[in-house]
Amino acid sequence: MRSVAAVLASIRTFTILGVDAHEVRVEADVSGGLPSFALVGLPDTAVRESRERVRAAIANSGFKFPNTRITANLAPADLRKAGPGFDLAIAAAVLVASEQLHAEQVDGVVLAGELALDGAIRPVPGTFAITRAAARSAASAVAVAERCAPEAALAAGVRVVPIGRLRDLERLGTDDEPPPPQPLRADGEGDAPSLPDLADLRGQPYLRRGLELAAAGGHSLLMTGPPGAGKSMAAMRLPSLLPPLDDAEAGEAIRVASACGRPIEPLLTRRRPYRAPHHTISTAGLIGGGSPPRPGEITLAHRGVLFLDELAEFRRDALEALRQPVESGRVLIARARRVLELPCRFQLVAAANPCPCGRGEGSPECECPPQSVRRYSTKLSGALADRVDMLIAVAQPDPAALGGPPGERSAAVRERVLAARERQRRRLGPGRCNAEMAPPETRRWCAPDPAGAPLLAEVLEGGALSGRGHERILRLARTIADLAGRDRIGADELAEALALRRRGRR
Amino acid sequence: MTAPSRWRLEAGGPGYPAWLADLGDRAPRELHGVGVRAAVTGLEHGATVTIVGSRRASSYGLRVAERLARDLASAGVTVVSGMAWGIDSAAHRGALAAGGTTVAVLAGGADVPYPPSARGLYREVVAAGAAVSERAPGVRPERWSFPERNRIMAALAKLVIVVEAAEPSGSLVTARFAIDGLGRDLGAVPGQVGVRTAAGTNALIADGAPVIRGADDALDLLAGVGTRAIRRPGPSLDRELGVALELVEAGATSPDALAAAGVDPPRAAIAFARLELLGYVRADEAGRYTRTALDAPAADRPDP
Repeated sequence: MRSVAAVLASIRTFTILGVDAHEVRVEADVSGGLPSFALVGLPDTAVRESRERVRAAIANSGFKFPNTRITANLAPADLRKAGPGFDLAIAAAVLVASEQLHAEQVDGVVLAGELALDGAIRPVPGTFAITRAAARSAASAVAVAERCAPEAALAAGVRVVPIGRLRDLERLGTDDEPPPPQPLRADGEGDAPSLPDLADLRGQPYLRRGLELAAAGGHSLLMTGPPGAGKSMAAMRLPSLLPPLDDAEAGEAIRVASACGRPIEPLLTRRRPYRAPHHTISTAGLIGGGSPPRPGEITLAHRGVLFLDELAEFRRDALEALRQPVESGRVLIARARRVLELPCRFQLVAAANPCPCGRGEGSPECECPPQSVRRYSTKLSGALADRVDMLIAVAQPDPAALGGPPGERSAAVRERVLAARERQRRRLGPGRCNAEMAPPETRRWCAPDPAGAPLLAEVLEGGALSGRGHERILRLARTIADLAGRDRIGADELAEALALRRRGRR
Repeated sequence: MTAPSRWRLEAGGPGYPAWLADLGDRAPRELHGVGVRAAVTGLEHGATVTIVGSRRASSYGLRVAERLARDLASAGVTVVSGMAWGIDSAAHRGALAAGGTTVAVLAGGADVPYPPSARGLYREVVAAGAAVSERAPGVRPERWSFPERNRIMAALAKLVIVVEAAEPSGSLVTARFAIDGLGRDLGAVPGQVGVRTAAGTNALIADGAPVIRGADDALDLLAGVGTRAIRRPGPSLDRELGVALELVEAGATSPDALAAAGVDPPRAAIAFARLELLGYVRADEAGRYTRTALDAPAADRPDP
């Protein structure tokens, strides 16, 4: 057995908080004394268990686990460390401290990986964000599990070294180093499975029109109607109408998916995320939170679509909590030591039955007690309703239409959507759409023409609208005009937008 | 929530209900209003009913008041009341439930919901109808301003209905003033003998006031025996809107239904928006439209 010298090791790694990577240094000290392995620096249970994995992985990789007093420290000490992603860095620190690995080999290298007991390296979530952060912090290389390497290479800006086993650390910085991974291709459709197509939605011309407008301007949409009216079916088909993610948007979406341990491959096709959480979801699950705080569904839907089916069945506090993030595009989760900021710019689509039985109050078949009807209408008009741009009431389609010819295909509708988006891009700048216009932009771009102005004045004076309500209508009217290729908002555009406006409680 | 609009009507000016002049020199010099201006400027004396009654009403009284107001509103009648607890609130709620127009006459400023706990009801009233007051905006109601308010309530309507009232009570004072001071019609809902809140209404009936058992009795008094709905001719419609209105009357409750019937979806939406602006239809929070009591001028109907 080699004599153990007191060498201090310091290894760089990153941990994910929310969707951002934060640097953590793993220090190890091996000194004489009774055999022990202490791990300090606010580790959670998974991190503390890392000692056992590190011990076994070192022993099973042909190294010697030092039979002395070992102290590993995760700095900064005030940051709570969670998850198994520190294994590789801790093992490397122990190996350097016990002089089984040259410090120069891992100098400036960021290590991120979980260890199997046999010394194999397992992937960790957030590789994309970790690699980006490593590149910004001038790391010399990032060593990650082989399976994560293509994702890491996507982040670019730093050398990525795929490693399969703990033993491979010895090859770091030598000629023997494994070849850099092939980055994943992020170049559009490829041979990805096709999205549900709008052609499946037979009949339902009004619902189709609503979807097209929502897609063209990025407007939030609430659909009401009985079960079987095609609300969910329509929502699922919205992504097939939306423009592809651009480079910046794709980067943001990949960062989120990667940090949450979700597959990133669907995003490489430039398709927008689509999330449809069940109505029993907790507030923390929807908005983000918990301990340690994790991103919620609204963050997973970042740059994509969030579909809330059965809106009235969602917990009231969850819907209340949605209001601010919907407006600002980000959610802040405050914890004792730090405030986590998560991105959540999504397009909201919701569906609801008009009453619990779905047949609609006032219809002869509706058997719902008045209280539950009132609860439904309160949900529809309160909480989230004032963040909704468009309201569409739909009925069950005529059975004859269901057997009829398929509707227009998504590809054809998308052409029109893309043309309308292009007009918006020229007006507002890259990646922006009508639904996001700020009040000064609305004033500048949404002034009605001489035919539309009296109509708007009539509506405003009649007390039907004011403030934000009327701005939403103007933005929607702008989209209607954009789809029609018109420069100004006329009376027809304004009237159609009026019919689609959300309704307050009477 | 969008802020409701505010307005002011001067005595003798446009939109001021001319029959308030029956109050003589006690007619309000001006009316301040919050909500839908047309709910007051479009008032017709012969299609306006004031419902008053006890604040501490029985559940029977509340049920009758709500039902009565709902049926009257469905028949095209504007329901006026004072937003107080009990019968007043039930009357407003009934009219709102029918998608009808209702006007609340307040003892404080028209922008001051009173009682304060009725804020929710106030919001609904000013969204679908209006709150009015002769007093300046912002002022709180005073003890003396309630009887003053009651005289306006009595004067606005052609028919005043007392649903439940103890003896003596403010509702009875309003009722007697409506007959003796203004020559308005008066009706009373009969109650159970021996119940405190029915003493006043039963006394009115004993004195000769017509019995109101439901909206039909009220309509008989208001517009002649056998009247079942008060139809008011609405603004004229072009051919496109005329066709759309026909479809609505045949059961189309949204642009979706119009589009399913073959109307181009944008045109279907435009038709509903314009019909709503003209007052022919009204939408609920789920986006479904109902027909109002407004009658399309016969000449505008498309040929069958």
